[in-house]
Amino acid sequence: MKKLQIIALIFSILFAIIIVQSCKSTSNITESKFGAQLWGENCIRCHNTPSPETFSDTEWDVAVMHMRVRANLTESEAVKIADFLKTAN
Amino acid sequence: MAFGQLYKITKEISNQVNIHKMKNLIILILSFFLILLMNQNVKAQDIQSTDEIQKLKQEIELLSKQNNSYKPGKSQFLLRGYAHSGLQTNNNGFSFVGGSFNPLLIYKQSDRLLFETELEMELVGSAVELGIEYANISYLLSKNITIRAGKMLVPFGIFVPNLHPAWINKFPTAPLGAGHEGILPTNDIGVEIRGGSYLGNLKVNYSFFAVNGGQLNDGMEEPEEAGIIHHGIFPDNNNGKTIGSRIGIFPFSNSSMELGFSAMYGKTGARESDVEDIKALHYAFDISYVKTLSSMSSVLDLKAQYTGVNVSDANYPEHDDPDELYTFDNKSKTWFAQLSLRPALVENPIVRNLEFAIRYSDLLTPEGAEWHVNQSQTDVGINYWFDWRTVVKFSYRIRSGFEGGHSEEPSHGGVEEDGGNSFFIHWAIGF
Ligand code: HEC
Repeated sequence: MKKLQIIALIFSILFAIIIVQSCKSTSNITESKFGAQLWGENCIRCHNTPSPETFSDTEWDVAVMHMRVRANLTESEAVKIADFLKTAN
Repeated sequence: MAFGQLYKITKEISNQVNIHKMKNLIILILSFFLILLMNQNVKAQDIQSTDEIQKLKQEIELLSKQNNSYKPGKSQFLLRGYAHSGLQTNNNGFSFVGGSFNPLLIYKQSDRLLFETELEMELVGSAVELGIEYANISYLLSKNITIRAGKMLVPFGIFVPNLHPAWINKFPTAPLGAGHEGILPTNDIGVEIRGGSYLGNLKVNYSFFAVNGGQLNDGMEEPEEAGIIHHGIFPDNNNGKTIGSRIGIFPFSNSSMELGFSAMYGKTGARESDVEDIKALHYAFDISYVKTLSSMSSVLDLKAQYTGVNVSDANYPEHDDPDELYTFDNKSKTWFAQLSLRPALVENPIVRNLEFAIRYSDLLTPEGAEWHVNQSQTDVGINYWFDWRTVVKFSYRIRSGFEGGHSEEPSHGGVEEDGGNSFFIHWAIGF
């Protein structure tokens, strides 16, 4: 069970770092990317990329929020992607 | 018209007066009246156009009122889902298989609250089996932290939470080891903290969860399944919760690659039974890599997951003589790797929608167990995409190795089918 304790320790440390880091508002790569690029990079990771015409603005609001949770997008990624989809549909 | 007539009248009068010098003067006076009259006319037109403007204003008001009634409220929802079905041919014959309809409801209650639920209606024999795949509520606590509670797809690895829906899965079948009767955790009830964040410029995502956890089959009623961990059964059989986590790391700044590490650990034995303290550790490594290869005008998609399950030693009753006990080293492992290539960037619209896919999967369950399996499966397929979520899949499956007595098929997102080598034609649609 020593192995288990080590695994648990690694996960806890990583988790703690992420939580601490999340609370800081450091600037990151997302800030320099446009919505279209974030859409192209992220929405193809699990399934085919949906084209903006798929949905209306309101539908995109719901779908992107759903994907924000499912794909663990950060807030700024989700906001930028939603804005892009809503202007390009 | 009025202008022409007046001119004529003016001319006539001036002719009658017949005084040449006076003529011009009269024309001048009459022209003056004419201008006055015209002015009057323009005024009338003005009045008419202000009327029209008024009317238009009213219409706009009405339209904007009507439009307002369509304006989305704060609470919005989507009714989506997917359906799939197909046919299978093998040595046993030719049959239509599968058939499920999974409605998905997503409610965005506010900017922070989201509820998602997916039902699964599956054809089993001539009956329809109804299940709740997941039903949970998420609260977006901050820009990087979401809290989720309810029945959820266990955030373990990538196949179950991200790849199993029939319109996402590149094959009609699930890889060995995945599925309702596989060794991967499926869905469970619990709470979770999840989100995405940046460590400097390194993108990461995390999930930390506590769920009821799997349940150990002690072999009392089904001796052939002694030692199996069953997932997605309610209510919990003990008070010990299973805790787990998945961390995902994106080594490249364009998010093309994700490396995932998952682990979960907890009690699995039934309360007040001999196996109460038996614990299980599940761990997994996964990789996802999606890259546009401009040289080949194609999108390359690689997905793989390795999963191990270690269950602590326990004694189970012998099949033929329940008073005799036996034990075995209860360790299982399974992995799959799949590669697909879609020439999405070529000009030809037919070729563009084609996708070539290959997947290898392998399952090894404990040798001493009655459900011992040592199998591998290769699937090759060609898919045709009608749109981003509608696909027809043609695939061939080759199985080899020791199938064992426990030959329950993975059906999760795949089809309920015969074992053995088979050819499938399968359609899936997401809506
Ligand atoms: C981590 C994997 C993953 C990523 C990344 C991802 N999706 Fe999804 N997406 C899914 C899964 C899984 C479903 C199916 C949900 C279900 O049926 O349970 C889905 C479903 C959808 C649907 C159907 C409606 C719905 O909400 O279920 C839309 C639209 C969608 N995704 C859009 C997007 C967009 C836009 C992006 C980019 C921001 C994206 N997805 C990124 C996994 C992902």
